Amino acid sequence: MEISRRDFMHIAAIFGLGMATTSVAASKAINKISLKDIYKFKAKGNVTLLHMCDLHAHIKPLYWREPSTLISAPNLVGTPGFLCGDSFAKHYGLEPSSLDAYFDTCIDFEALAKKFGKMGGIAHMKTYINQVKKERGNENVLFLDSGDTWQGTGVALKTTGEAIVKAQNYLGVDVMVGHWEFTYGKERVKELIGMLNAKFVSQNIVGDDSFADDYEELIFKPYTIEERGGAKIGIIGQSFPFTSTANPKEFTKGWSFGLRLDTLQKYVDELRNEKKVDCVVLLSHDGFSVDQEVARQVKGIDFILSGHTHDPSPKPITINNTVIVIAGSHGKYIGRLDIDVKNGKVKNYEYKLVPMASNMIPADPEGEKLVAELYAPFDAEFNEVLGKTKNMLYKRDTFFSTFDQLINDAIIDEMKCDISFTPGYRWGTTVLAGEDILMDNVYEMCGITYPNVYTFELQGQNIANLLEDIADNVFNANPLYQQGGDMSRLGGVTYDIAVANKTGKRISNLKVGGKPLDVNKTYIVSSWGGNLQSAGTNLQTAKIRPVYDVVRDYIKKKKVVDVSNKGNVTLLDYDCGCPKKGKRGC
Amino acid sequence: MQRRDFFKTLGTAAVVGATLPVMGMAAEEKKKGPNEFSYNQAVSAITGGKTAEKSDKVHLKVPEIAENGAVVPVTVEVDSPMTAHDYVEEIHILDTKNSNSRCVDAFFTPANGKAFLSTRIKLGGTQDVVALVKLNNGTYLIATQNVKVTIGGCG
Repeated sequence: MEISRRDFMHIAAIFGLGMATTSVAASKAINKISLKDIYKFKAKGNVTLLHMCDLHAHIKPLYWREPSTLISAPNLVGTPGFLCGDSFAKHYGLEPSSLDAYFDTCIDFEALAKKFGKMGGIAHMKTYINQVKKERGNENVLFLDSGDTWQGTGVALKTTGEAIVKAQNYLGVDVMVGHWEFTYGKERVKELIGMLNAKFVSQNIVGDDSFADDYEELIFKPYTIEERGGAKIGIIGQSFPFTSTANPKEFTKGWSFGLRLDTLQKYVDELRNEKKVDCVVLLSHDGFSVDQEVARQVKGIDFILSGHTHDPSPKPITINNTVIVIAGSHGKYIGRLDIDVKNGKVKNYEYKLVPMASNMIPADPEGEKLVAELYAPFDAEFNEVLGKTKNMLYKRDTFFSTFDQLINDAIIDEMKCDISFTPGYRWGTTVLAGEDILMDNVYEMCGITYPNVYTFELQGQNIANLLEDIADNVFNANPLYQQGGDMSRLGGVTYDIAVANKTGKRISNLKVGGKPLDVNKTYIVSSWGGNLQSAGTNLQTAKIRPVYDVVRDYIKKKKVVDVSNKGNVTLLDYDCGCPKKGKRGC
Repeated sequence: MQRRDFFKTLGTAAVVGATLPVMGMAAEEKKKGPNEFSYNQAVSAITGGKTAEKSDKVHLKVPEIAENGAVVPVTVEVDSPMTAHDYVEEIHILDTKNSNSRCVDAFFTPANGKAFLSTRIKLGGTQDVVALVKLNNGTYLIATQNVKVTIGGCG
């Protein structure tokens, strides 16, 4: 067995080898990192699967800071899917200040952003894809997309997904599944699939309108069989199982989602026994931790290409002979999986999570042209400078983020509410300290098809209950009961949380405007991107307005925004945001 | 008639075995009022205090997270030869927190051919859904799964 650089660092860490030596080696490595290192790969076997997930419509390069807090129930702490910052770097043996550390963690993000520049962008991704196709042969490469591709930027919203379908066709996506795709509505999804060169597969979406023709029928093909490198690859699609709970039901009326592990097992068996495929792949939007459960419960899947939870995972994990990979988010990475497969058996594989460093991987001119064309109709609006930010604006973290705080500040300022709820989606953007905030950045944070901010009344007791309900969707000890988002962000509120406590008993010391929450009092609440308004009363219809307009007007009014990184949530049972396995501390 | 069309004609509240089982609500509990069966009361009314054994012969299929708490699909299938000597007599579907915990009682005979029940129940909040099965030899089997009813909104 050859020891890769990463493995060596890992071993070095375990044996506590001299830090001085490693840091010298590290600084040498940074200065030397080149395009060759990014492309470097120990090619294996006869087939290459390229994998992308959660692009969130970022066809241009962006900054994207990974979380500095990623808290879970104690049984999941420090496991892949719940690693961040220092615990991530240690787990995967990342060298400090390296390109990998910049892409995979939040450590020294701002300094490294200046050094390494933006991430992703379809023109750079295409150059890498072409490189792999040249190396391996077009007929041996398959490009799979785990979904959350069509939504997340202004250009996606304004073209209701069409710009991104064009980007996928340009990249050469072969097969995809969906989640946020469905927020364009059923009819539009079907239209866009009509324009898409890739196949859209999902075994877990079934008609549930008993008066419709598709009652109990699959809405999409459950799987596709693709031949590459002389092997038959069966690819089963698994769209986001909780789409109808996490997003408004009306978009997918008459469709039922769910994990549907019994039918998944049936299709795995069908592909193996009847279709005689050589390899079974699950293309999934379940989320990284849910797919680890899937691998425990469903037999016979060779590879799960996961998505939804946005985890960069430099190393695959293997559970019951199923190998699981996930390739981050926002176009930051492409996963390359080489497989040696023959006669119905996978003999060997090699995986690398390849960082799409846009300063190092040259842009494909055709891609740059396409991006410019797609943006042209909206440039005037998107490039408007709304103001500047004093501190870095980022999205990810379990409880709090600066960009979400800015959104809550804007909502409270305009709606004059006591409490503002902003959803804990994991997509968005990062604006570095001192930089301009563009309208495009605002769409990157809240460009959704149901953008309205609703202002209504909720009783104190309901607010407490709702918060517990949301906390259980994030912190349930069983991954199958998690929805894969972060905690909703609350403006005007502070609270303490004990994540390991039982359902309904996690939150304490809840304060509104600095005063303890009165369970009998009625509060004015504003919320967007969720379903809270359905639980409230006295909806103030005159105030309803899209969140991106509210945020735009607020930043323009402020000119310079100054959002502190001091969160509003006190974590009681962990000492830091990125705990290590089996520990409450760091 | 196709099985699927048959479901369709039944509409949303489909209850299907090979032949339709006899349905009924628990008459012996009526005196406590229509909405006052706690879970423990309901179980002891069915089993008469006998212990029900956890069994992987009882296949309870219900979503982990309900798409809509008002219509949660539940399917129960029990591995049983359904012969005159060895068959499932009763399948009960219960929940642990609704004001009325006793949702469905279905009675079977070997003529049903299959111990299979599919229906939809209403859940007022996150709780366990329970399938309680009586075999013809008088033993009780049980399977449980937690179902989350949430306002949702992450993700």
